[in-house]
Amino acid sequence: MGSAILSVRNVTKRFGGLVAVNRMSMDVRSNEMLGLIGPNGAGKTTLFNCITGVYKPDEGRVFFEGREITGLPPHVVVKRGIARTWQKVRPFKKMTVLDAVTVGALLKIPSVESAKERAREVLEFVGFPKEKFARLGSEITLIEHKLVDLARALATGPKLLLLDEVAAGLRPHEMDTLAKVLLRIRDELGVTMVIVEHVMRFVMNLSERIIVMHEGVKIAEGTPKEVASDPRVIEAYLGTKPV
Amino acid sequence: MVKPVALLGGKSALYSIIAIAIALALIPLVLGYNMYYVYLAAQVVLVTIMVLAWNIIGGYAGQLDLASSGYMALGGAVSGLLLAFYNVTPWLGMPLGALTAAGLAFLMGYPTFRFGVKEVWYALSTAALVVILQRVFWLIYGSTEIYMPIHRWSWYHLRFSRYEPLYYMLVVILLVTLWLNIRIKNSKLGYYLTAIGEDELAAEALGIDTRRYKLYALLIYASILGFVGGIYVNLTSIVSFRMFDPWLGIVVAVMGIIGGLGSIAGVFMAAVILRTLEEYLRSMFGATIPGIHLLIYGLLLIVVGVLKPEGFAGFLKYFRRRLARGGSGG
Repeated sequence: MGSAILSVRNVTKRFGGLVAVNRMSMDVRSNEMLGLIGPNGAGKTTLFNCITGVYKPDEGRVFFEGREITGLPPHVVVKRGIARTWQKVRPFKKMTVLDAVTVGALLKIPSVESAKERAREVLEFVGFPKEKFARLGSEITLIEHKLVDLARALATGPKLLLLDEVAAGLRPHEMDTLAKVLLRIRDELGVTMVIVEHVMRFVMNLSERIIVMHEGVKIAEGTPKEVASDPRVIEAYLGTKPV
Repeated sequence: MVKPVALLGGKSALYSIIAIAIALALIPLVLGYNMYYVYLAAQVVLVTIMVLAWNIIGGYAGQLDLASSGYMALGGAVSGLLLAFYNVTPWLGMPLGALTAAGLAFLMGYPTFRFGVKEVWYALSTAALVVILQRVFWLIYGSTEIYMPIHRWSWYHLRFSRYEPLYYMLVVILLVTLWLNIRIKNSKLGYYLTAIGEDELAAEALGIDTRRYKLYALLIYASILGFVGGIYVNLTSIVSFRMFDPWLGIVVAVMGIIGGLGSIAGVFMAAVILRTLEEYLRSMFGATIPGIHLLIYGLLLIVVGVLKPEGFAGFLKYFRRRLARGGSGG
């Protein structure tokens, strides 16, 4: 296992009276595929938003490669090397698939022509069908949207990729395709990943390490097997056993 | 290097610009050098410039800016007042007008974008800007109309006894604005602005400093308008508080939307066709039923809005597909 590429230290985020994330700490190791799971409303997406700069944490600090990134705006966080995808896809509907991914590639490649070339490579890498590169964002299916979203983030050349419920809404065979793509991104491109899911099956098969959140706090951490048999996790997902 | 870009199908952008240049150059001849018609043609070209400038902030960056008339009038006031009071040539007045408009745009855009004023709130604040400018002008100069000096034919003052010179100057500015639109669309700036217009948060998460790029778009837009204002005041020969016309700001945005946000060809056609139509309706029915042209104009906007929400760009795409099919069949 490598050293920590991302460190979250005691991060708290409140919305009015609600504490969405409560003194949350975690380390993401270099080149791992960390699963971050928990029931709906556990604070996973809020934590992502605190890391990527969409929200400013009320307390706590975030470090990336040893440098503090707490409260930096999203466009700066991406430049440091953290890209993300969205729980609910945020497509560029009036742009072609290729152009949308080109926007991501332009972060490191200033020339439009070269960025387009890079975008083509990334789209092919994630397995997006070549004949649909010229389709508009409004003309593609959900799994294709997820792949474009992934390719767009990947085109920025990240070291760490935060995936927010990539598998949500997909059919089982589509999930398998996606899982293969994610493994290739880690193994061939060396990108570290944090996968947020509330569907457990998808992460359980992919991640060697899992962190479980519930009501804003970390309640368990370990291998998929350890986590799945942890009574607190079972309680969080299923509720307490009636007496 | 500028890659040839399809403006209206297969032709390159350069050919399209040349074709438009030739067509616009011939218009005074077609109109028989009739003073009134050439004046109207100049008005149409002027509005087209405004809509093409608006396309950069409104079409690409997706900011519903309603202050185009304000920036143009401000630039016009700077250039016009310098000419009327200090005999300063508009050749200097126009760049100064552009600078002033850009300065105001910065003062307006920096805080608005800094504090995340978006969508309707952005539209409202820009509409208010025009009204505020109008009131400020009125406080200083009252309701008096300031006339431009009379010269039979002076390139120094840009004052002429005919409208053709100003018409041709506007045509040149139109072509430059058109070229700028195409150039931006195919550059990093264009990709970034379009992404911002689509989804600001997603754009931000791809590394785009959305505030900065929106400000770039706003400054380009305001500069073009501030520059062209100097010709506008010489066309009408008057500087007055009425130039700061909130309605015109709305019309420009409407034309940009009807044209199909971000589509250069669509926006160009919408401005030319709608402005000409408005003038035609005014001259046909304006005397018998005052205001009827606005009613018909409004109805037309609704029809286009309902049938083709993507605007003239949608019609163009449709015709292009038909043409392509006809071409391959024959």
